[in-house]
Amino acid sequence: MSDVMSNPGRGLQTQDARARRRHRAEVRFRAYGVMAIATGLILLVILLGTIVSNGTGAFRQAFVEIDVYLDPAKLDKKGNRDIADIKKVSTFGYAPLAQQALLAEIEARGIETPLRKAKEMKNLLSSSAAAQMRDLVIAQPEMIGQTVSFRLLASSRVDGYLKGRVMRENIAKDKNISVEQLDLTDALIQAGVITSGFNMAFITGSDASESRPEQAGIGVSMLGSLFMMVVVLVLSLPIGVAASIYLEEFAPKNRLTDLIEVNISNLAAVPSIVFGILGLAVFIQFAHLPQSAPLVGGLVLTLMTLPTVIISTRAALKAVPPSIRDAALGVGASKMQSVFHHVLPLAMPGILTGTILGLAQALGETAPLLLIGMVGYVATNYPGGLASGFLDPNSAMPAQIYEWAKRADPAFYERAWGGIMILLAFLLMMNIIAILLRRRFERRW
Amino acid sequence: MYDMNKQETAVTQKEIKFSARDVQVYYGDAHAIKDVSVELEDKTVTAFIGPSGCGKSSFLRCLNRMNDTIDICRVEGDIKLDGEDIYHKAVDPVQLRARVGMVFQKPNPFPKSIYDNVAYGPRIHGLARTKADLDEIVEKALRRGAIWDEVKDRLSAPGTGLSGGQQQRLCIARAVATEPEVLLMDEPCSALDPIATAQVEELIDELRKSYSLVIVTHSMQQAARVSQKTAFFHLGSLVEYGETAQIFTNPVDERTESYITGRIG
Ligand SMILES: Nc1ncnc2c1ncn2[C@@H]1O[C@H](COP(=O)(O)OP(=O)(O)O)[C@@H](O)[C@H]1O
Ligand SMILES: [Mg+2]
Repeated sequence: MSDVMSNPGRGLQTQDARARRRHRAEVRFRAYGVMAIATGLILLVILLGTIVSNGTGAFRQAFVEIDVYLDPAKLDKKGNRDIADIKKVSTFGYAPLAQQALLAEIEARGIETPLRKAKEMKNLLSSSAAAQMRDLVIAQPEMIGQTVSFRLLASSRVDGYLKGRVMRENIAKDKNISVEQLDLTDALIQAGVITSGFNMAFITGSDASESRPEQAGIGVSMLGSLFMMVVVLVLSLPIGVAASIYLEEFAPKNRLTDLIEVNISNLAAVPSIVFGILGLAVFIQFAHLPQSAPLVGGLVLTLMTLPTVIISTRAALKAVPPSIRDAALGVGASKMQSVFHHVLPLAMPGILTGTILGLAQALGETAPLLLIGMVGYVATNYPGGLASGFLDPNSAMPAQIYEWAKRADPAFYERAWGGIMILLAFLLMMNIIAILLRRRFERRW
Repeated sequence: MYDMNKQETAVTQKEIKFSARDVQVYYGDAHAIKDVSVELEDKTVTAFIGPSGCGKSSFLRCLNRMNDTIDICRVEGDIKLDGEDIYHKAVDPVQLRARVGMVFQKPNPFPKSIYDNVAYGPRIHGLARTKADLDEIVEKALRRGAIWDEVKDRLSAPGTGLSGGQQQRLCIARAVATEPEVLLMDEPCSALDPIATAQVEELIDELRKSYSLVIVTHSMQQAARVSQKTAFFHLGSLVEYGETAQIFTNPVDERTESYITGRIG
């Protein structure tokens, strides 16, 4: 006490040089931390901003709303309403009807345009518009002869014009749209014939050919991803958890288990394309499983996910205090009872989190899918059933995105961004599920 | 001297519960227990004392084969429970542990409710046929653990939410719920405050009526208070074993005397 009084230099309320240096270092360190986090946040905002600004377009679509007379003379020449005969009329039979209906609409509304021929309406309508009409007629043949209100897909050029992607200055060499057609589009928008609305088909639809980006959707590849995730979950969770429990709780500690352990850690770092080529050789060329099938994709992704699941499960098991095992054994539980009654439930949050993160990683994986043919134009519609869901050729969300990004038409590019948004939404959802499961299983006592 | 003393020994002569012969314990190459031979009596509290690292826990864990769970641990010699060799090939250590319960140094209740903590043993051993049976077993065990009055209104509360002393008594209740014949306690009070320690000691004295108890302790006062027999270990050997009163007042071996008087340890 008197010491401090007599030596004010060492008082508690005055800092010496050492303390000041220490404080300055601390302040600097905190500043570095804040800077690092701020940089990260800014980059994240830029990333998300870019994705959203590029991708939202995919969720809107231009439609042409017109009344079309389903002319029996064209659609049912024999007049007997026989479904077999009706089916013989291809989309080429329907396209002129839509074009004429649009022309009639223009005349009825008194819109001034130099375009006088039905053919010249072709570029305004999607080539899938005819298919849309044909599908209705085949489903309800009694509609033939009636005038039906349709909400037909506009062509990707018209759609792009609405979104600002297609501009007058840039279309000089474009065979698929002309300035007059854009003038007409403006007038039709004014008249409320061309409208823009939410594009449900992008979320539920299947991929479309290169010339019809307006029709392409991610729905079917979403199913492909879903079926793959089912395979991955059903295989990697039980195999991974069983392997981890054995290694962690039962296996003797010797050279062999050490070797296995090292190999599992190494497998987690193997590039995914290696698993892809392994899958190609083993599952397709050797086991003769169908190409491009979600089953094979799921198997390949399982190989890739297993090390992640095993590593996180083992970490979760290791984190359970040994005193719990002793307690169980002490009251006469067998090793297995102690693991399944006490250790595993306590490790559950960690196991589930690890598994879901592994699944999320698998969901975003593209490279191995390239090698087993799950990337490319998949012209199918929805799989007919469970078996065909696993065995029919399909794509997956990231592969579909990659496929779209590859195509020339900027309309596909926009869809690629839209697909990224959906993929990110799924990943976000899986992470939220992981957090919720954690909360649910974590008994904080 | 043919008198009181001898008569008293004759009266208190009890059955032998555990008999160990030339027990050796190795951890890898380290020889942790050397040539220990001892006979533990039924309905008696036997205290194991000795400086830390002398092998008290290692020997205790031989008695319910908890050492089996340590990979590098090897036990040799001959240990009999009621005349049966517990290290015989045909013996299932799980069955053995149901008969020889254990309480650990650090209270380790399961992260489950108080009820489930106690009910776990009876459940896996099929001791209760109905829910009412189980309720009864749980209540009896908690009463024996001298904790019933404190927890009877919150049986579904987590066992880990109790105080340290309560947790240890819960662990004792959990151990007695499976109706063991022997209860091994490895420094059961070392994590407890004096009041909780006194409660546990009282409980040990009570349990002596029904069980054979072995308690490892660091505290010589505790050994003197609760035990009838004391074994003094030093550097892996059993130096001296006898009546507690005799060990503390009139030790034969000078190492025992040094330890008791505080010169080693
Ligand atoms: N799991 C183990 N692995 C290796 N050596 C051990 C292990 N447990 C105890 N030992 C060793 O055995 C000896 C006796 O330890 P222990 O029985 O715990 O003594 P005490 O309980 O009397 O303090 C010590 O030298 C200790 O290092
Ligand atoms: Mg010890």
